[in-house]
Amino acid sequence: MSRRLTVVLLTMLVLAGAMGLKTVVALHGNGAVVMANGGAPQPPIPWK
Amino acid sequence: MPGPLGYCVWLICTLLEGAVVVCAIRTQSLRRYIFLNLYMALLFLVDVGRYQVLSHYGMTSNEYIYFYYYSDTLLTIGLYFALLNLYSLVFDEMKVERYLRLGAILLLGGTAWFSYAVVQQSSHRILSHFGYELSQNLYFVGLVLTYALWGAILKLRETRARLVQLVLALGVYFSAFAANYALQNLYRGAAVLHYVTPLLGCILPAAWAYCFLRVSEETRLTPSRLAAVPR
Repeated sequence: MSRRLTVVLLTMLVLAGAMGLKTVVALHGNGAVVMANGGAPQPPIPWK
Repeated sequence: MPGPLGYCVWLICTLLEGAVVVCAIRTQSLRRYIFLNLYMALLFLVDVGRYQVLSHYGMTSNEYIYFYYYSDTLLTIGLYFALLNLYSLVFDEMKVERYLRLGAILLLGGTAWFSYAVVQQSSHRILSHFGYELSQNLYFVGLVLTYALWGAILKLRETRARLVQLVLALGVYFSAFAANYALQNLYRGAAVLHYVTPLLGCILPAAWAYCFLRVSEETRLTPSRLAAVPR
């Protein structure tokens, strides 16, 4: 049981860290795509 | 539309993605690194599909835009599972697969929920925006997980050279995108940066192809503490 709770805690820590990092980056960024898979040219984002 | 240099980089990247799977099959590592190879195979197929759609409909067409961003979401989920494949290999002797699966599902579900919560408030095109948001959020989750895995590798004093190199390549890949994003914000509109993003896409397939081809499964790193024994 305690192992499962540890997993839940670690998961929440990673999620909070990642989303916090993303929020900080998005706040200071210009809205460009951070990551893209593959070498294809990036089209414009339609919902910005 | 991309110029000749853009097409050249794209072609090299696609060939490298195919080379990863070929090298893995040649060195009989396909099953052990199944999610890494599935991700690369999917990436190869998506790049071929993107070329078809781009050449038929054009860069600014809705077909290409939606195909690009939906496939990108699928690929980022694939990359997430590839990273989990590396996690299960690093922790295989500790018999914690059940907990890794639980953590992976919780993390993916949590990221999807966070993405939906953001999109619901800010967009009327929920489905397509959700896909994009999920992809970008999973990138950050992947970034944090990769650094956490590198910390675990150092702590466990992992000596399997191939595994270490695969994780390091992933770390370099994620970090390079972060640096590229920072540069894009610093030098907005710099023409050279248009070629940098596709070039970064070549890092991971190139490093993994080299790793499968040149580093055997039995190769071990010599721990420094054993290499310099005090008398």
